[in-house]
Amino acid sequence: MSAPILEAHNITKRFSGVVALKGVSFDLLPGEVHAIIGENGAGKSTLIKVLSGLHPSGSFEGSLLIHGNAAELRDIRDAEAAGIAVIHQELALVGEMSVSENIFLGHEPLRNGWVDWLRMDREARVLLRRFKLDLNPEALVGDLGVGHQQLIEIVKALARNSRILILDEPTAALSATETQALLEILRGLRAQGLSLIYISHKLDEVFSIADRITVLRDGETISTAKTGETDSRTVIRQMVGREITDFYPRRNLSPQPSRLHREEGKYDAGAALLQVEGLTVSNDGRTILSEVSFEVRGGEVLGIGGLMGAGRSELLLHLFGAFGRREKGSVKIGGAEFIPHTPADAIRRGMVLFSEDRKRYGLVLDHSIGFNLSLSSLDRMVSTGGWVDQVEELRRNREFFQSLRIKAPDLDAAAETLSGGNQQKVVLGKALMTEPKIVLLDEPTRGIDVAAKLEVYELINRLSAAGIAIVLVSSELPELMGMSDRIVMIARGRMGECFARGKATAEQLMASAVGTRE
Amino acid sequence: MAEITVEMVESTPNAGKAFSPRDFSMLIALIAIWAFFAIASPTFVSARNLSNLCVELSITAVLALGMFVIILPGQIDLAAGSGVGLFGGIAAVLVNKHDWPAPAALAAGLALAIGLWALMGAFIVKEKIPAFIITLAGLLIFQGLHWRVIESTTVPIQVGSDVNMFSMLTTWYLPPVAGLVLALLVILALARAEILNRRMRREGDLPVDPRDLSYSRVFVAAQIVLLFVIVANQHLGIPLPALILGAVALIIYMLTQHTRFGRHLYAIGGNAEAAALSGIAVDRTVIGAFAIAGAIVGVTGFLQTAYVANSTNTVGEHMELDAIAACVIGGTSLRGGKGSVAGVLFGALIMVSLLNGMTLMAVEAWAKLIARGVVLAAAVWMDVRMKRKT
Repeated sequence: MSAPILEAHNITKRFSGVVALKGVSFDLLPGEVHAIIGENGAGKSTLIKVLSGLHPSGSFEGSLLIHGNAAELRDIRDAEAAGIAVIHQELALVGEMSVSENIFLGHEPLRNGWVDWLRMDREARVLLRRFKLDLNPEALVGDLGVGHQQLIEIVKALARNSRILILDEPTAALSATETQALLEILRGLRAQGLSLIYISHKLDEVFSIADRITVLRDGETISTAKTGETDSRTVIRQMVGREITDFYPRRNLSPQPSRLHREEGKYDAGAALLQVEGLTVSNDGRTILSEVSFEVRGGEVLGIGGLMGAGRSELLLHLFGAFGRREKGSVKIGGAEFIPHTPADAIRRGMVLFSEDRKRYGLVLDHSIGFNLSLSSLDRMVSTGGWVDQVEELRRNREFFQSLRIKAPDLDAAAETLSGGNQQKVVLGKALMTEPKIVLLDEPTRGIDVAAKLEVYELINRLSAAGIAIVLVSSELPELMGMSDRIVMIARGRMGECFARGKATAEQLMASAVGTRE
Repeated sequence: MAEITVEMVESTPNAGKAFSPRDFSMLIALIAIWAFFAIASPTFVSARNLSNLCVELSITAVLALGMFVIILPGQIDLAAGSGVGLFGGIAAVLVNKHDWPAPAALAAGLALAIGLWALMGAFIVKEKIPAFIITLAGLLIFQGLHWRVIESTTVPIQVGSDVNMFSMLTTWYLPPVAGLVLALLVILALARAEILNRRMRREGDLPVDPRDLSYSRVFVAAQIVLLFVIVANQHLGIPLPALILGAVALIIYMLTQHTRFGRHLYAIGGNAEAAALSGIAVDRTVIGAFAIAGAIVGVTGFLQTAYVANSTNTVGEHMELDAIAACVIGGTSLRGGKGSVAGVLFGALIMVSLLNGMTLMAVEAWAKLIARGVVLAAAVWMDVRMKRKT
């Protein structure tokens, strides 16, 4: 076997105290497809950034070797010069420019200092033919489908004589046929001696194309194995890894006292508040969710898991009237048909959404805590004459400020001055002040510390005890397993099997999330 | 009247913050401007000029308040100046050429203003065309319409020398005794607002200013109100435009601080996505803001045209820029979500003081244009710098 074209030895990368990679080693052979898989947050993106110069040499420990020589990549340009190209999930194409312009973007062939349009067109044709792509080089990229755009991104990398392609979730936005076409082309590249690093959540793809598979977990290499010498079951176990208790040391210290009332089966007492049947949703002509069905009763927590991009957030946003178009299916709130057009409709019907990106979707940062808390509930605080009843507003704000234990000098403090956990509480408070019957939670504990997480969990328990139906979307399996009465996983816009509390292992859930059957 | 509202805003629930260095530097700038013109051209502080200054301030500040309502949700209105010319022109033509009674002519102009501005707002939010482009188109279209309506001539706002409601807009003064009574009422209202606000903050466990600070705030406000009325009474009394400004400022203040609509304006400007997910009808709110701004453009059109006494091609020219400058000088963020009525009034006072002083000193037109441009650029530059620091 020939020598590796790219090697990484003992890479350790820290972000202000957090270790993202712990002594990861990785190598890539010429003419090989090497897949890297792992849960969200396992360190895949960090590793790619190290390999592609996005985290410059010196910002991490360990060494990189290209063609056996030590390499110091200061930035992406250095990586490009060394023949490494990254194709990100978010495509870096200019929609208003033609195919050939995009392929040569930043490397336009010149003649006496002027762009040589003829040569550019000619070379683009040659490249496109090489990949059997029936595309007009003069077509606008924006007019092409995502599948073709993905391929142009690859052609663009090849036009720069890249020998190593790093593909980050290349099929996330592709249909099944587009995926097959892409995999075919990647096999062709491998046959031409190129090396590919393939990052994907979709295990069936990984097993169909990869020569070797490396599993990362919590910033460490768990295993590197030839595809023929492992199977999806092993890989899933390696991805999930440890026992649940390891994830939440704090939860062991205070073992969910408020959950005691809700032993398995008891939630049946509540009526189905939210019923979703055969819901198919599209956005910009692309199907995001297909045939999704579930129901949530009052006092019940339904956990929804799945990998990034599976359609979890989109599902919640759609239910809330803020995303996509409903192609099929029905949504009922309290038994009555509900077709949301705007979030205002949803809030009026007693449904509220807590969104994952609190800074983007949740808070008006430079305004006060009080301003943010009452923002969704001003309708209920209007006194005669149409003025906002300040006394009532202040009373309600204080109530939530105290019951949520928001740590701030007073209600006048600007939201941007709060810590992440307290900002989270303000957004939750805003949602709860609308007195909802159904609460949709999208990653309610992302990016907050353990103590704040615990408070959020206690709040969820309080809400369900009060008979509120809760849909909890989370990337963290232990969180889902610890908090939900039932759990379903979404994979590629489809809903998997529904597991009752305590009836599924992390491995089963992960298998359901990556869409493979055992 | 302007000063009255300044004080009222300081007693809002959000006023727990200290005086910012920015406010302070603006106050110093204003004092410097006044001191400079008072020395360079003593007529600047004559009762007669102060009365003129007051009328000019009222006109510019009213328009700036309309601009404020549009900038708050993160939009912009470049058509305001053209609108001022157009709606004043329409009212003038209806009165002068078609013998309409002045109230009917003003009402017609106002209705058209509201309609056209709501239409622009609808284009912006429904068709997703940037406000910059729609209102730039509006600038050209409304100016063209204005010139067409008055046929590029000079159209007086009255027939012969018959005084009417239109012409009285800038020539009527509140009798001195009535002015003093009004001042007294305003001072009482201010004191009451301060007391109520203190009580509410105490009950809400919010920090309450020391009692002495509240007393002195009301005292200083009372002094300013009285001083204003006394100075105005030296020259015929409080001019009607100042009363109109007071009313518009009070309405915009109440609207932005004490209604759902106003809160929604701030939220949309602060974070449009969060606002939408909080259940705010973003489109309707922005169209509403444009409709209100349209009404204000109409009123400003009547005032400005009345002040000039005729509708001519140049009425309203560049006024949108003074309005934008007033907003930005007064601390309104061009990205939206930030600003106060008091700040806008203050910004307008700085802008108008500069223009009035330069006119008194017979500064040539070209130099005045350059000065306006420099002030506008400097104000926005400060806005951007403040943003970068935070």
